[in-house]
Amino acid sequence: MFSLQAWIRERVPVGPEQLRELTNEPVPNHLKKWWWCLGGTPAYLFVVQIVTGILLAFYYKPAPQTAYESVRYITEEASFGWFIRGLHKWAATLMVAAVVLHQMRVYFTGAYRKPRELNWLVGMCLLLLTLVVGFTGYSLVYEQLSYWGATVGANITDSVPVVGVYMKQLLLGGEVYNDNTLSRFFILHAAVLPVTMAALIALHVTLIRLQGVTEFHFKDEDPKKAKFFNFFPEHLLTELSIGLVLMILLSVLATVLPAEMGPKADPLTTPEVIKPEWFFYVAFRWLKLFTGTLAVLSMGLVVFLMYAWPFIDAQIRKWRPNSEASVWIGIAGALAIIALTVWEASVAH
Amino acid sequence: MSLEFKRGVIAFLSALFLVSLIFVQWREVTRREAESGRSKAHISVPASSKACVDCHTQSTPGLVAHWEGSKHAERGVGCLECHQAQKGEIDGFDHYGLHIATVVTPNDCARCHAEIAGEFGGSHHAKAANILNSLDNLLAEVVEGHRGPIDPHSPTPGRAFTHANGMASVNTGCQQCHGSKVGLVSSDGGMLTVDDFKPGPDGVPTNLDAVAKVVKDQNGKPKFHSSTWPNTGIGRINLDGSLGSCSACHSRHDFSPRRARQPENCGKCHLGPDHPQKEIYEESKHGVAFRDLHAEMNLDGDSWVLGKDYTAAPTCASCHMSGNIRNGGRITHDPGERISWTNRPPVSLAMDTDLEHRVVTETDPEKRRALVADTWEAKRTRMQEVCSVCHSAEYVNNFYKQYDDFVVLFNEKFAKPGQKIMKALLDNGLRTKAEFDEEVEWTWYLLWHHEGRRARHGASMMAPDYAHWHGMFEVAERFYMELLPQVREMCAHAKEDGMAAEADNVLAVVDEILARPEHQWYERDVNELKAKRAAEQNAEKK
Repeated sequence: MFSLQAWIRERVPVGPEQLRELTNEPVPNHLKKWWWCLGGTPAYLFVVQIVTGILLAFYYKPAPQTAYESVRYITEEASFGWFIRGLHKWAATLMVAAVVLHQMRVYFTGAYRKPRELNWLVGMCLLLLTLVVGFTGYSLVYEQLSYWGATVGANITDSVPVVGVYMKQLLLGGEVYNDNTLSRFFILHAAVLPVTMAALIALHVTLIRLQGVTEFHFKDEDPKKAKFFNFFPEHLLTELSIGLVLMILLSVLATVLPAEMGPKADPLTTPEVIKPEWFFYVAFRWLKLFTGTLAVLSMGLVVFLMYAWPFIDAQIRKWRPNSEASVWIGIAGALAIIALTVWEASVAH
Repeated sequence: MSLEFKRGVIAFLSALFLVSLIFVQWREVTRREAESGRSKAHISVPASSKACVDCHTQSTPGLVAHWEGSKHAERGVGCLECHQAQKGEIDGFDHYGLHIATVVTPNDCARCHAEIAGEFGGSHHAKAANILNSLDNLLAEVVEGHRGPIDPHSPTPGRAFTHANGMASVNTGCQQCHGSKVGLVSSDGGMLTVDDFKPGPDGVPTNLDAVAKVVKDQNGKPKFHSSTWPNTGIGRINLDGSLGSCSACHSRHDFSPRRARQPENCGKCHLGPDHPQKEIYEESKHGVAFRDLHAEMNLDGDSWVLGKDYTAAPTCASCHMSGNIRNGGRITHDPGERISWTNRPPVSLAMDTDLEHRVVTETDPEKRRALVADTWEAKRTRMQEVCSVCHSAEYVNNFYKQYDDFVVLFNEKFAKPGQKIMKALLDNGLRTKAEFDEEVEWTWYLLWHHEGRRARHGASMMAPDYAHWHGMFEVAERFYMELLPQVREMCAHAKEDGMAAEADNVLAVVDEILARPEHQWYERDVNELKAKRAAEQNAEKK
């Protein structure tokens, strides 16, 4: 008699044993607390972005003559277009926030240290890609602020010595914002960057799987209890619950504070106030504090130090084994980022 | 350093980050709201007007609410800034420690908007009350009403009127658009106006005898003559000697630019059978586009330059007053600056204007050149700048050729002949000098004042139905089927009354006109028929 199970097994030789092996990853006890489980949040939001992004791409037309009108159509006429666009916008915001929170947790707990330095590098790449995908997405709306935000962003790129001019050309597809820029942004935003991110996320998870999740042992823990629990179904249920809460939060935000549209981009009229997306406020404020090249170079240096931190930290700890300099540097850095962001948000110019 | 401490650091920084994120998002949302005009602007009540606002919030809440929605309120321009009166102003009075006046005149607005007030002062709008001495006013004052009170001829059940105001039609009709001559109640029962007060350049009366006669209420406030106030006619003649009313277009107390930019605002007066500009606009492609694309007109924009801030459609303001990219965004408060024909009189005139912005009627070329300060060509160029934001030069020039041809056709075929016939009737004593006492005068008035204007305005703003069916068709019907038969009938009666020579003079004028090529069609067949019948009758007699 024909057996569907046998038919599938012949073609996909993975049985319950292998599946159990795959899903029975031992998870450290601290992950029973949901607030330690936010590493999966950016990945969940990434999936939301992919799904909503595909729906938006059905209608979006990446050209200066059509972009704004197509976004208006999505927002005002397409069935539930406003909701999908709202989800996309707020998931982007929450994704940046989740990545930052996740990185903060990894940093302060020293989870980037040997043997996980490479995964920190992958995480840094994902952080930067998340910001760039946010930048390109913001520019696609082709409203006044997104147009001028993109123009300012390109000019900042131009400030990078030697390679800046080429980077700007690469970004804009020309010397200035032109007819090709939007399609370039669209391809980056909807194809190149997400595919790269998906690959890096896969690598990130694989490395976690290979090296295991960093174990934390708190003083109030019962030493007699098991130090690990199963991924399936306990941890999966926690992750699914977080996903459910996120979906509710996203739906509420998309409904109460829907994504809106400002005036259409006018290349001839510079708006009185130019603001990038909020996650670039820190860089924008930094640029206003220093001259162009100095600001860009110093920001580049900060990014480089963030990348290299596992190795710098290792050198410090070799020199002073019990050094907690990383914590104090981290506190100072986090406070500086928050302060610069709030500062930029508080003022018009 | 313990793991618990690090956990605390993460918790604290995460919480701080999330709070800052909420703050940033709140700022984003409020910024968006402000950009889209949905946020309620901050109202700044100046200390000098605080008591006014507090009290009038109770007594006239709508008025205060309107003001709260104005740019004035946002910028700290309160009640006193507009309503303050200087000592000696005839309508000034003390009000809770402040000296104020009820009527805000262009002189008051000029304290802040001097250039605009100057432009407006030179405009035809500011002089709109000149109609008070025109044929139209004769119609309202004498034909429709009576220059004086009318005693009731029979009682009105439930009401006890001692007399009817014979000028009621003028007060509520003509003057609400053209403007009243604002008057105060005199102790002798009459009315005191600017003519009596003779204000100096500062707006303060120089005739103290007239000032002494002003009747005031128990609070010392001068009493306005009810026939002249309230009034927001655009050419209002104010007690301080100034002309006009800014609130005619910029309705008090919100002074909304948005409203002034929309055709409905002009439509308060520019509509109806004799000058249906509003209806003509609605029929035109411009009006159709406006109705459809109203939401894309950026009507709330601080800047409203055609070609930069909006292109969806032009409104009355766009073409006649507002800035455009071709003129550097320059706004004018003299709508006549861009009008090259005046279609107001029976015969349209080229809008060559003198230094006083009056239309020059001088026919001698040399004298005319000396008088003209602003040519019709310059005015047309200004309008063509507006047109060129959306239309090619050929398109615009050909439109103006069509318009010129239409106006000239009306002038030459009907207006000038009509004028000539009416003059011949008057010169030969076949009609009286008094207007509207003979049927032919009504006929001629309807021809040029109603149908003729409709036709010309229809052509000027691209409304084909008004140009033709409501316009030239009715002009022609009125001319051939009413005016000419009535004139011939008058001539026939005159002959019976022993005025054969005079009647022949008039008929000679008519015949000369009908002999022109454009009129020959009219009686050619009839005359041939008559001649044929006469020949047949003669043959029968023989």
